[in-house]
Amino acid sequence: MNRSSVSRRQFLGASGAALVTGLAGCSAGEGGTSTDTASSTDTLKIGVLEDQSGNFALVGDPKAKASMLAIEEINANGGIDGKQIETFQRDPQSDNQRYQELTRTAINEENVDALWAGYSSATREAIRPIIDRNEQLYFYTTQYEGGVCDEFTFAVGPTARQQLGIVLPYLVEEFGPDIYTIAADYNFGQLSADWVKVLANENDANVLGEEFIPLSESSFGSTINRIQEADPDFVMSMLVGANHTSFYEQKASAGLDVPIGTSTAMAQGYEHRRLDAPAMANIYAGVNYMEEVPTDSNTGDGGFVDRYFEMYPDAPYLNEEAETNYFSTYMYKKAVEQAGTTEQPEVIDALESGIELGTEEAPEAPEGETIRLDGATHHVDHHMWIMRADDDHNVEAVENRQIPETFLSETAGCNLPENPEQTQYTPVDYYEEAE
Amino acid sequence: MSRNSANGEANRSLPGRLRSRFEGPNTIGESRGFWVGFAVAVAALVVYPAFGDGSQLSLFMVLALLGLSLSVVWGYSGVLSFGQVVFFGIGAYTFGVVSINFATPGGITAAVVAGIVGGGVSAAILGYFMFYGGVRDVYVTIITLVSTIVMHTFMAQTAGSEWAIGEAALGGFNGMPDIPLLTLGIEGASYQFIYNPFPMRIIGIGSFEISPFYYLVLLLLVGTYLGLRVLVNSDYGRVMVAVREDEDRTEMFGYNVTRIKFVVFTLGGALAGLSGVLYAARNVYIDPTVFSLLFATLPVIWVSIGGRKSLLGAVVATLAIEYLRISMAGELALVLLGTLLLVTILVLPSGFVPWLHERIVETRLGPGEAGGADAPDAPSEVSD
Amino acid sequence: MVNGINLALQFLDSFAFIVLAAAGLAIIFGIMGVINLAHGEFILIGAYTATLAVTQLGLPLVVAMLVGGLVTGLFGILTERVIISGAWPNYISQQTLGRDIIEPLYDRLADSMVATFGLSLILTQGARISFGNSIDQIATPFGAISYGAFSYSTYRIVLAGVSIGLLLATYYLFTRTDFGMRARATIQDKETAQAMGVNTDRMYMLTFGIGSALAGLTGALFAPVISMQPTLGDQFLVEAFVAVVVGGPSVVLGTALSGGVLGAILATFSNLYGTFIGRIALLVAALIALRFLPDGITGFIEQLRKRRQESD
Repeated sequence: MNRSSVSRRQFLGASGAALVTGLAGCSAGEGGTSTDTASSTDTLKIGVLEDQSGNFALVGDPKAKASMLAIEEINANGGIDGKQIETFQRDPQSDNQRYQELTRTAINEENVDALWAGYSSATREAIRPIIDRNEQLYFYTTQYEGGVCDEFTFAVGPTARQQLGIVLPYLVEEFGPDIYTIAADYNFGQLSADWVKVLANENDANVLGEEFIPLSESSFGSTINRIQEADPDFVMSMLVGANHTSFYEQKASAGLDVPIGTSTAMAQGYEHRRLDAPAMANIYAGVNYMEEVPTDSNTGDGGFVDRYFEMYPDAPYLNEEAETNYFSTYMYKKAVEQAGTTEQPEVIDALESGIELGTEEAPEAPEGETIRLDGATHHVDHHMWIMRADDDHNVEAVENRQIPETFLSETAGCNLPENPEQTQYTPVDYYEEAE
Repeated sequence: MSRNSANGEANRSLPGRLRSRFEGPNTIGESRGFWVGFAVAVAALVVYPAFGDGSQLSLFMVLALLGLSLSVVWGYSGVLSFGQVVFFGIGAYTFGVVSINFATPGGITAAVVAGIVGGGVSAAILGYFMFYGGVRDVYVTIITLVSTIVMHTFMAQTAGSEWAIGEAALGGFNGMPDIPLLTLGIEGASYQFIYNPFPMRIIGIGSFEISPFYYLVLLLLVGTYLGLRVLVNSDYGRVMVAVREDEDRTEMFGYNVTRIKFVVFTLGGALAGLSGVLYAARNVYIDPTVFSLLFATLPVIWVSIGGRKSLLGAVVATLAIEYLRISMAGELALVLLGTLLLVTILVLPSGFVPWLHERIVETRLGPGEAGGADAPDAPSEVSD
Repeated sequence: MVNGINLALQFLDSFAFIVLAAAGLAIIFGIMGVINLAHGEFILIGAYTATLAVTQLGLPLVVAMLVGGLVTGLFGILTERVIISGAWPNYISQQTLGRDIIEPLYDRLADSMVATFGLSLILTQGARISFGNSIDQIATPFGAISYGAFSYSTYRIVLAGVSIGLLLATYYLFTRTDFGMRARATIQDKETAQAMGVNTDRMYMLTFGIGSALAGLTGALFAPVISMQPTLGDQFLVEAFVAVVVGGPSVVLGTALSGGVLGAILATFSNLYGTFIGRIALLVAALIALRFLPDGITGFIEQLRKRRQESD
């Protein structure tokens, strides 16, 4: 923490820095407001570091936008406890090194009271040392593999167990017990595949085979042949990224029409809008949110969707993570008001007492229902949906119910108010069938 | 040689003799003015943390070591390697693995050495494979590039718990977190360099915190730079340059070109490994993006823009370009960076620092006497 | 038996992918000694142009693809004149400053890498700024061929045919036309070719244009089957570079042979062990090939031929 009583303007190449920061100022695009250092008592400051260029731009940009939407709404309604929210928003360009530097800046120079940052788990891991070192309140909002038990991190996106947990049992009942798994060949994909095995075991299903595909791969001919050979009742797909999107197009043109359950497709990267029908037909997404989720507060007049596109008329889609950024901002607001201060330890205590949001602030929940932040694990009991795309790429809800976070709370025994820690648990340590 | 004419009798005194080891036709700057400027620059770096963001500059200085490693291998021996990041990454991961398994001051110190050795050994293996197999020119470049991609693809999928070396899980795409804080020494007599600032007060400037890691990196960078200057200006250095200029001719003169390239490549790998160790130590984290195509291209960019035949150019360009990359925000930032690269390499093909040096020397000596750095493609004569 | 058909189709798929990815790059590298790190972005231009031509202008697919190639070719000529040879900036600077300010990038490996890398940054981010993070895709034409429990996308097989056609067309261009003769003369000995009246300057310009057009055509051909994002060029780079270098100095034969050999390795290992092993096998095969055949496959063939000629 290099706090200095001297103004921290860059020393080297002062004129170059002025030129560059001048450029940065005028080409900041939307919402890149950089304000002065310390937050005064009339305002508080939120840091938003989301990818708006680079590999994750497609899925990261809506997150930034939704955060800004929530902040604008809150400010328009009087702010948090009467304080207006200032923002420190930057584009880390999907580069973990930049994330680290910007996180340092956000904490040490901008003194943010709360930080939202990162799409991929790798980003979260890259900045976690800085977060933990500085005891910074941090919201990680992407859907992820689950298992993070960290005293300063609130991983409020849906976990693999929740997402797969809603879609897999339904598909077993609808189509049969034989499953073939295809997943991206990295942590998230491998851990999700482990959860498929756990859930299959819990639902009397069997995994015929698993296939892990490198993130850079975009030719799926052999994968499609192997699926055809295995002849499963349905496929579980945890493919990630731009290159893997080609799978859906290729499978459709190869005439492969086995039903596919997924936690990653459609909701984040809106493939059903970008690809020609019927590439995504018969695909069942297990998600907490998609633009098409049919709650009144979401698709109704003046609902979340309307408000988002009013602020961003040129945005292509309102994706899964965006809603998590949105409601977590409101959760933060509630916690600050409950704590009566922006001091981070007190706000964390307030969050740990358990915060509930209704449908207005969390459009994933239907009228009358709530979602709840579980104080012990820092995760959210989400309202999950199965969203299915038909032959014309119209998306409909097939099923929905609340699925609480169980892995950390029941299986791994994560209880942060009592035992603060900084770990990530994996299913392999607890479930034999996940081996 | 201009050295004699510029310094005159300074050669015979101790400072002059000392200086002569650092000067020669293979590096920029051999006047007193240069060394004074150099001292001023180093002094500025020493006091910089009081005024600016020392943490960020320490990152750039760590990367400058990576740039230097490429400069040695490419600028001075003619081997364009995209693989420096491979040795960088192996050094970083080795440091992580060893230090996580032996999280004592002695263990962490050993981990530093292990990282450097890891970088050197992996470079030796790849170098042996390439040079003793007769691979030359562009094919060396492509092989190093392919190695980088292999490492990237491979490391990204080492996610499961089976991919652990002792207590250290490689972590796959998510990387290896929780690397122990860099502490050198042994039990009882050690010093922690990361996250161990000590406060200072200077009248008139104010109070600030000194980060020992910053000064460790600064020391290593300056030391490496000076050490490399001695190397490239020595007899061995001239042979390196001869290899760069014309391999066959050098071979005909009786030098074992293959062995020279191998040795220099190994040295470059060790240096890249050191840079990787410091990188992992600073970030307390390492992940496979260091093997990505973008990161592999960065050293080539730094050294090309700075001046590939100039050690100073490599350092200055790394610092400048990384600073620009970090500070540029907004949509147009990448466009501007690309344009900058494009224009610089087209207009100043031998690099920025040599060009600057020529301008300075011209104004001092008048046009016609300038000639420290080589013109872009003019082969220089190898003199006996 | 069935797996044999699977393997054969997967091989054709891999072959097409590698050959099409490498085609444009091989010509540019082979003839001009320039490494175009913006190759992926040229593919991007072709893909986006073809897609937009269909979705916005309503052009038929084949026409749109040709338009994609053409537009990229024109852009390639622009790139060559401004950046690679620097002819236009030099023309301007001759008038104003009385000297050239840019030296051509031919045979300057590292410098061409840096320059084209800068160009790739500009193009990728430019595409992102102009068109957003993605554009809507066009559907894959044709259906699937089925055999037993399996099926394969017909289009991917058609692409194999297209890639062979492209190789033949390029071969024809280089061996049967005047242009091709002049191009080969320039490769063999630039000075003599110039002395014999070949306008090498224009030769390089056209070559780069053709290479770019091929890259753009690749993008257009793959547009229905890949995700339309500004980073779509990245997925072709590895195969392209590896194939070009393993292929060696002969453009057509080298690309064809490396497409065949590397494609076979990729398809076989992917078929037997999965896509990760397939990819690693491809890269390791490239490393081994480069180590033992330092001048590529066709360089090796050339050596054999010379040795046989000498012994005759």
